[in-house]
Amino acid sequence: MANRTSAAQRPNGSTQGKICQFKLVLLGESAVGKSSLVLRFVKGQFHEYQESTIGAAFLTQTVCLDDTTVKFEIWDTAGQERYHSLAPMYYRGAQAAIVVYDITNQDTFGRAKTWVKELQRQASPNIVIALAGNKQDLANKRMVEYEEAQAHADENGLLFMETSAKTAMNVNDIFLAIAKKLPKNEQTTGPGGSGQGRRLVEGDSGAKTAGNCCK
Amino acid sequence: MATSMYSKVDEYGFERPESFDYNLYGNFLSQYIGVLAKRAKRWGDLKHGDRYKKTTTLKRFVRKGIPSSEREAVWMAISGAETMQRRSNLQYNSLKKYMENKTITEMIKIDIPRTFPENIYFTNDNILPQQLFNILATFAHHNNEVGYCQGLNYIAGLLLLVTKSEESSFWLLKALIEEILPKYYIRSMSGLLIDLEVLDEFVKKNEPAIHRHIKGVGMPWAVASTKWFICLYAEVLPTETVLRIWDCIFYEGSKVIFRVALTLIKIHRQQILEAKDLGEMVDCFRKMGQNFNVVNCHQFMIEVFKTPSSFPNRYLEKVREKHSSILSDK
Repeated sequence: MANRTSAAQRPNGSTQGKICQFKLVLLGESAVGKSSLVLRFVKGQFHEYQESTIGAAFLTQTVCLDDTTVKFEIWDTAGQERYHSLAPMYYRGAQAAIVVYDITNQDTFGRAKTWVKELQRQASPNIVIALAGNKQDLANKRMVEYEEAQAHADENGLLFMETSAKTAMNVNDIFLAIAKKLPKNEQTTGPGGSGQGRRLVEGDSGAKTAGNCCK
Repeated sequence: MATSMYSKVDEYGFERPESFDYNLYGNFLSQYIGVLAKRAKRWGDLKHGDRYKKTTTLKRFVRKGIPSSEREAVWMAISGAETMQRRSNLQYNSLKKYMENKTITEMIKIDIPRTFPENIYFTNDNILPQQLFNILATFAHHNNEVGYCQGLNYIAGLLLLVTKSEESSFWLLKALIEEILPKYYIRSMSGLLIDLEVLDEFVKKNEPAIHRHIKGVGMPWAVASTKWFICLYAEVLPTETVLRIWDCIFYEGSKVIFRVALTLIKIHRQQILEAKDLGEMVDCFRKMGQNFNVVNCHQFMIEVFKTPSSFPNRYLEKVREKHSSILSDK
């Protein structure tokens, strides 16, 4: 069973270096595997039938990158079209987004492109966007070609990986890739606080409770 | 010690949470069973012929809990579903034949195995999932304004577990969506957006310190409360508590949702105020259903009707109207 890799462990209190906190939102059509990706990343688990997310869920997970601890505040949103009106409150101020589609369903790829467009127009200008082609374990039922998605990602400056929440393939990797791309130097940002992660000092309440939703 | 006395699965097929306190539950149940037995006897006298009529006595009785054997009949009567069914020139079985929109049926099909995947009645046979599909697909084709909204699967699923009747569940779902609840489920979800604002206003008025703290850590109401409105606390609170809430929603309408919300917040005042950041706050709201004061549905419902003591529909409508016009101006 592929569980969490060493790269995705929580800080153990002896962590040196800086701690950065970033808001990350997951978007994408219903049933593409947004909650499953989060469940795999945060708890190392997978449920064949994941309950549909009503509204949104909030979880946290930390990854260590060299001397930096990156704490993700993850907003997992409902995928059904009509819940769209609630989405801006989750991606507002987000420094990162994972837009998910299902490689066995062409419509979900179309919807992913729409999400990317919306983020580019409405979200923070420096947002790091990753495109995830999930359900890679069902590659024999593939309807979206890898090259097609890669080309779209290249054109739009997105990170891109095919993932499988079921086998854990590329799940930690995509979060790590995002963590690497996020700016970790503290800078003052304009109103709204978009752009940079808040830097937390060791012993800060926020740092101590990292991963408190992971029980 | 006595943990093995009670099944890990409740009467309706739901697994109890790991943290469930069987000793406390045993104490509560030994009292509650007495209450239920006493009430069941008195319920017998309330029927007019084979029907229940809405009277102040019935309202008082409903607030104290409908015996599970009578739930289907009473819900059908007090929700207006029975009248709707009687007056309608539509038959459920003929409505069921029209399911030609594949986009809708596919969407629902995906959600069926995702509805209560841990409930033994849904996982152990094929009948219930098929019935759930029929109810949702029939309704979605019947009501174009709503179609299928995620969340309705949980409501229809629980209706089915309680009534064990596909047809009654359909009419109860229709009564809820078309008569009892605001426009939560339509494509714009306008009713939900309005009620989230209404909730914000009520909390601000009733619990200003809590309101300030929740705003301070930056938790939007939509995160904690979307499910409260959309699923009517199904999937949020323990089943018996949810059913006691539904008893009252069917009789008194959607204001009960706010009474419950304010009671949950009041009961968890300390925990909310102690939540230091967004993660802790979301966690605190997520775990409210595990609190024994919520599991003890009888005591909980007594609190619900004290919070606040008086809650006229007219007042709720006024606040809703205000937020409706604010939102449409935006």
